[in-house]
Amino acid sequence: MKSDALISLLGIEKTYEVGTELVHALAGVDLTIRENEYISVMGPSGSGKSTLMNIIGCLDSPSAGTYEFGGEMVHEMDDNQLASIRNRKIGFVFQTFNLLPKLTALRNVELPLIYANVPREDRLEKAKQALTKVGLGDRITHKPNELSGGQRQRVAIARALVTDPSIILADEPTGNLDSKSGVEIMKILDGLHDQGNTIILVTHEADVAKHARRIIRLLDGRIEHDDRKRTV
Amino acid sequence: MFTLIWETVRISFQGILENKSRALLTMLGIVIGVLAVTLMGTLISGLDRSFERSMSFLGKDVLFIGKYEWFSNQDWWEMRNRPDMQLDYGEKLKAASDVVLNTSTVMARRVDVARGDNSLLGVQLRGTTPEYMQTSFINIDQGRFITGGEDRSGSRVAVIGADVAQGLFQNRNPLGERMKISGVTFRVIGVVEKQGKFLGLFSMDNQIIIPLGTYTRIFSRRGYIQINVKFAGDPGEAKEEVRGVMRRIRGLRPQDKDNFAINQQEAFETQYKAIKLAIGGTGVFITVLSLVVGGIGIMNIMFVSVKERTREIGVRKAIGATRPLILGQFLLEAIFICLLAGLAGLGLAYGGSRLIDQYVFPSTMPVWLGVLSVFLAVFVGVISGIAPSFKAARLDPIEALRYE
Repeated sequence: MKSDALISLLGIEKTYEVGTELVHALAGVDLTIRENEYISVMGPSGSGKSTLMNIIGCLDSPSAGTYEFGGEMVHEMDDNQLASIRNRKIGFVFQTFNLLPKLTALRNVELPLIYANVPREDRLEKAKQALTKVGLGDRITHKPNELSGGQRQRVAIARALVTDPSIILADEPTGNLDSKSGVEIMKILDGLHDQGNTIILVTHEADVAKHARRIIRLLDGRIEHDDRKRTV
Repeated sequence: MFTLIWETVRISFQGILENKSRALLTMLGIVIGVLAVTLMGTLISGLDRSFERSMSFLGKDVLFIGKYEWFSNQDWWEMRNRPDMQLDYGEKLKAASDVVLNTSTVMARRVDVARGDNSLLGVQLRGTTPEYMQTSFINIDQGRFITGGEDRSGSRVAVIGADVAQGLFQNRNPLGERMKISGVTFRVIGVVEKQGKFLGLFSMDNQIIIPLGTYTRIFSRRGYIQINVKFAGDPGEAKEEVRGVMRRIRGLRPQDKDNFAINQQEAFETQYKAIKLAIGGTGVFITVLSLVVGGIGIMNIMFVSVKERTREIGVRKAIGATRPLILGQFLLEAIFICLLAGLAGLGLAYGGSRLIDQYVFPSTMPVWLGVLSVFLAVFVGVISGIAPSFKAARLDPIEALRYE
């Protein structure tokens, strides 16, 4: 394990205004993530794990605290800078896949590279490689509705991988899948970790969380447990 | 950067293709707007052209002196009771003033003409002198105009308009052929070049010209007489000069009102401009109306589109689309719809203008107007697309991803 911190969160707070009441979704979170870590974030609903995911994923800005990502100060960034860092450094895998239904698998995977301003030929080449990596090399012209749930999630993983991001953020990646497809998806994620990727997994299923080497439990907007397993 | 722009264009275009029928319906307003403005322009260009053509025989440096004003709100009875024009006024005018270069006297009446079984009713017959060619701008297509000798001797020769030639002789050469005017046999010596009609009003096409000497012998020395005066110099001064001479001829005292009318081509132009303005105004009104309605339609459809695609916007944002890119995507989509509609309208207008050209009157669609109308359509796209696009660009990615 490398010692350099990839992500460091310090005193992160997130407060929402619900009506007249202030809700502290995150109440001071300190977290350091190194390269090639495999982390599960767990916690009951309302514990703040979605909010933490959104902040780590640069979809949301913290109300207070500092967030450093690969030397960049995320908490100071404006909207377009956040979009850029999401594009370059983060690969999202969502519970509901979130593929664009009218586009083929290849086009879906190509999308982040369009926003990264990669020339067309490189783009298609990289997208094909990513799809092959998740075992869908023969399905590139299929649209999402022509694919099974597990295959859709694999397209989504390919899309997350294609920009060669610093971290892969998977939010309940098996939540909408049958157990067999779920196992396949977890296998792919494990494989990606073995290849050196940093993976952050949000889940409430213990079986899924077990795949990770480090399990973080949130409760009421704070980190309750941070268990590191020894890598064997 | 170019890649990004191109891809944004492509994504926008895809957006339209995904909703073809909706886009098509949305386009209608813009199509109608562009169609209205370009067809209106075509119509006016055609009117201009045919007006100029049919006005050309009146001539810009010619005054027409007669009993009646062409366009006026004067009491008709007052004009009716004026003394008739006399045949010798032309000579008197020419002798009295240097401004008058030439004059021709025209008498006219409606006649029926016939040749064999072909007959035409209510043709305008003009009796005039050879100087008519100097005071009018008609071109002789075939044959020649009448001569002074024919005028003095009262020869039964006729110069006929194109429609008369067609009506009586169909496709045969009318030169040297005989025809009957009110039962009197005439020989055709010339055919006037076809002029086309201006709103079916005045045209040489449906006229016959015979020598004045012949006219007065066969028909009458009295009746409708008009003196055409070709003048030199400033039209305003010439008109005043001629008016003075006419008052002297008529022996009017200073306090008397003019008992004759001096008409000019201008009078028609004033009338025509009013017609043109009415057509143009109507066209602009329809255009603006349909563009506004079309624009509102597009704005509405774009708002619906943004709403429907909230999740897509969320995904695009999550994987790195910036606000300007999302804005561009939707704005371009609106612009494309309008551009396509504009081009469609232009295509239809072009077809329409060809039909007008062929069946109504010679006309062309002004190119600048076509270009302008497409620009206008694009402008509508920008205006109506901007609010929905901003809404899309400002969506919060987390909310958008959660949207169902």
